[in-house]
Amino acid sequence: MTPAPAYTFEWAAVWRGLPYLLQGAGLTIVISAVAMALAAALGLALAVATQTGGRIVRSAVDAYVELFRNTPLLIQIFIVYFGLPQLGVRLSPFLSGLSALVLYAAAYNAEIFRAGLEAVPRGQHEAAQSCGLSPAQALRFVIVPQALRIAFPALGNNLVSLVKNSSLVSTIGMVELMFVANDISFNNFRTFEIYGTTAVLYVMLVLALTRVLHAAEMRMARVAS
Amino acid sequence: MSVLWPSLPYLLRGAASTVVLALAVLAVGSALGLALGLLRVVPWRVAAGAVGWAVEVVRAVPLLLLLFFVFFGLPALGVRIPTFPAAVLAMSLWMAANTAEVVRGGVQSIPRGQYEAARSLGLGWLRTLRFVILPQAMRRMLPPFVGLCTILVKDTSLAAIIGVFELTRAAQETIERTLRSFEIYGAAAVIYFALCFPLTRLAARLELRLGRP
Repeated sequence: MTPAPAYTFEWAAVWRGLPYLLQGAGLTIVISAVAMALAAALGLALAVATQTGGRIVRSAVDAYVELFRNTPLLIQIFIVYFGLPQLGVRLSPFLSGLSALVLYAAAYNAEIFRAGLEAVPRGQHEAAQSCGLSPAQALRFVIVPQALRIAFPALGNNLVSLVKNSSLVSTIGMVELMFVANDISFNNFRTFEIYGTTAVLYVMLVLALTRVLHAAEMRMARVAS
Repeated sequence: MSVLWPSLPYLLRGAASTVVLALAVLAVGSALGLALGLLRVVPWRVAAGAVGWAVEVVRAVPLLLLLFFVFFGLPALGVRIPTFPAAVLAMSLWMAANTAEVVRGGVQSIPRGQYEAARSLGLGWLRTLRFVILPQAMRRMLPPFVGLCTILVKDTSLAAIIGVFELTRAAQETIERTLRSFEIYGAAAVIYFALCFPLTRLAARLELRLGRP
């Protein structure tokens, strides 16, 4: 076996590709933020439904949560993008990717919010009731705000996962950081440099996000005490 | 639906490969992860710091990018790895980093007094770790580790993208012949569910039994 010729790094390729990679990183941030906002709203609605609804509602939410948490996100993305058109539902790559990410993250968020709601002490419900608040008002003004604070660290972890998981939507042609990295490296063949730079961008993104979340957590704890 | 039954044996062969892939990653990744996790809690500051950084970096990178880096990036340096070993390598790095985090969390959840008591009985730090801390920490590590295994089984689907034959790849090939994406991906989802759901239940049960001291 002859030794492989020494590899010459070509960082100029990275330099030329950097503006596109940064745009891709920007899209990753936007997609993650939008998906998380929608998934948080859906997850909270599902969690509140399990607390207030009857047995059928609870079983339906349970089924949804278990189904989406126990199957790969990639398969969910493929079912939305390749499977649904067969039933007459044709979504663009953007909408397919976004809805799959939202449905997946919402299943985790529903569990997080449910744990948060259950962690609010029983006395808070009773106190709200004896202040004359209706059950809906008690939920809105007393229980949910406390549950949100309890759920915040776990929600933050789920957001970090979402940023990384959003790379999967590149497989159906939704443009974000991973898609841009593939696009550039398949054109100029500088795979090592481009994927290496992309990894650095993801690490910077995730580490910055975890620092911000941690600071917010500390601040919340200070305000609460 | 009639397309489903003839395709099922092929999908099940894919599922068998998924299990083999997951077991290979489990063996390599968790052994490496256990070693790295322990390196983070021994009193060698430099090693602990370096491992901490490496773990944080690997955990911050999407698994798909790790896979592409190993399979498409390393050949540029003359390191050419076939699809299956490339998938095992990339996913083992991911598994090792996450296992190390579980180990660290478990060890650090043991109260300080346990160290002090063991040390004042005259045990060295290695024996303290081996006979006092680890037996207690194992109980705390088990539930999150089983949860990690569930994620591993789901994430083996990414190997299909670089061309490894497993369940997702088997589904893609079946769809190329039958053009019935909804039923075939649906069937693949059901098989994944059958693999993952028992693990999820096990993790929840272990959490109830072992999570609290």
